[in-house]
Amino acid sequence: MSSSVYYKFKSQRQESRVTFDGTGISVFDLKKEVILQNNLKATDIDLLLFDKDEQEYRDDSFIIPRSTSVIAKRMPASRPGKGRAAIYVANLGASDPQSNPQSRAGSSGPASNPATGTGRFGGMSRRFDGKDPKAHS
Amino acid sequence: MNAAETPTLSITLLGAGQEVGRSCCVLQYRGKTIVCDAGVHPAFTGMASLPFVDELDWSTVDALLVTHFHLDHAASLTYILEKTNFKDGKGKVYMTHATKAVYKFMMQDFVRMSSSSGDPLFSALELSLTLPLIIPVSAHQQISPCPGVSFIPYHAGHVLGACMFMLDIAGLKILYTGDYSREEDRHLVKAEVPPVRPDVLIVESTYGVQSLEGRPEKEAMFTSEVHAIIRRGGHVLLPVFAMGRAQELLLILDEYWDQHPELHNVPVYYASSLAKKCMAVYQTYIHTMNANIRGRFEKRDNPFVFKYISSLPHSRNWEKKVADGPPCVVLASPGFLHTGASRELLELWAPDSRNGLIITGYSVEGTMARDIMNEPDEITGLRGNTIPRRLSVRYVSFSAHVDYSQNAEFIDLIGAKHIVLVHGEQTAMGRLRGALQSKYKDRDEDVKVHTPRNLETLNLTFRGERVAKAIGS
Ligand SMILES: [Zn+2]
Ligand SMILES: [Zn+2]
Repeated sequence: MSSSVYYKFKSQRQESRVTFDGTGISVFDLKKEVILQNNLKATDIDLLLFDKDEQEYRDDSFIIPRSTSVIAKRMPASRPGKGRAAIYVANLGASDPQSNPQSRAGSSGPASNPATGTGRFGGMSRRFDGKDPKAHS
Repeated sequence: MNAAETPTLSITLLGAGQEVGRSCCVLQYRGKTIVCDAGVHPAFTGMASLPFVDELDWSTVDALLVTHFHLDHAASLTYILEKTNFKDGKGKVYMTHATKAVYKFMMQDFVRMSSSSGDPLFSALELSLTLPLIIPVSAHQQISPCPGVSFIPYHAGHVLGACMFMLDIAGLKILYTGDYSREEDRHLVKAEVPPVRPDVLIVESTYGVQSLEGRPEKEAMFTSEVHAIIRRGGHVLLPVFAMGRAQELLLILDEYWDQHPELHNVPVYYASSLAKKCMAVYQTYIHTMNANIRGRFEKRDNPFVFKYISSLPHSRNWEKKVADGPPCVVLASPGFLHTGASRELLELWAPDSRNGLIITGYSVEGTMARDIMNEPDEITGLRGNTIPRRLSVRYVSFSAHVDYSQNAEFIDLIGAKHIVLVHGEQTAMGRLRGALQSKYKDRDEDVKVHTPRNLETLNLTFRGERVAKAIGS
């Protein structure tokens, strides 16, 4: 059964949704989906996500439970030309469609995030390179 | 007087802060919110091209004013009206009559182009729903959108219908120029200097400290380059935006052809169905143009009925047919060569050294028009193929923006104590700021020059009650 998380750009009237399997989706995967759905692959923006109380989801590995509504915000890149939005879709070319990151994010929960503690995006890129599809299954 | 009585003007750029594109300037003062322009960034598509609209609660906007019909000033308006909570508030939308008339056609074309590229921001239906919300105004008409706020549009030159807005928010006066030109051309009046001195001037800085050639030199360079390409048996490609400078180039070419009978068998094609539609608008608004045009019109010589310009029949693959045919001149859109007819022709004509490309407008960073000015040996086609570039590339600027000396002179004439530079790339803007600052320092004048980045709110405080201050000494 597929689950949804709802998101709305701060200025938008209508909500959109991201669907996935499982009980939650990581902040990283949600950002990636929002960027893809809205074709935001520009290098000059940062994409931020907030909860209802306007608290930012700063931890990419945090799992947002299904049915949550979040607020998205496009911001100019904090460093011009080095927008972080690109990071979330950087490894897409290498990922194969079967190893759908959404389903993995959902089914495996926080424990599955290879929280190696090294480099901020180290664990994330591992999930997109398709080399570790059976981790924690 | 306590601190609470020190009112603050907040200026937040949602776009065009240290960049050219997606103009959108939010002014907040004493509880009023005015937005000037709602454009898109031409180097991006879809949502990435929008100003940073998430930063504003659109239901709080009292008025949204659009300076002119160019996409970088007007194309996100439908999105804002339809997709944000703008309509939950009492905000009103204004543009001049001529701007509105052209805007409609421009945006229909924009919707068509963006749906074919698969990244539409809104539909044709949504566009048509928003058109009745736009209140058309005339130059010099004073409008009051809500109590405490009024504005007057002044001619800005640049393109048909373009205007600046002199705003009065609770006594504080702000002039927002939009894009403007100070040179009388073939059809438009130049930008006016409003009769009132504003407290704050928000001014474009596209050309930074660059100087552009004078009008006669430019025209001579342009026509002789066109003629030279024809003489060597080549095709001339003039990438232009359908509306704006294109009409000026057509006036120049029509006159040049008239004076050169040897060119009469060389066709000048204007490949734009959009422009054909808009030509009627140009003919309708002749009364807003300059004395030259009005004079000709009074003598029943309609300058917008061109003698030597033909529009192309809408057949499939016309680009190929024209490319294989004898020498000719083609004006085709878009001006940035990033897609469409102009790009198609460029790719067909690039390998032949007899052909020539003349760039006549400002080219935004990240577009083919900008890249090709470095005269690369090869260009990449839209299908990812590599194409040798042997056609000649020339740049003759007819873009109707002020250059440094015109901008500096205008800024002086306006005489505001705070100057906010917008609509310029970071370096160009930085140089302009430096030049202005040292000028005011030499003169020992207290004038502040600001160059805020997008979303970097600039707060200006004005002590005490704003009362009409005597101008001059
Ligand atoms: Zn313009
Ligand atoms: Zn502009």
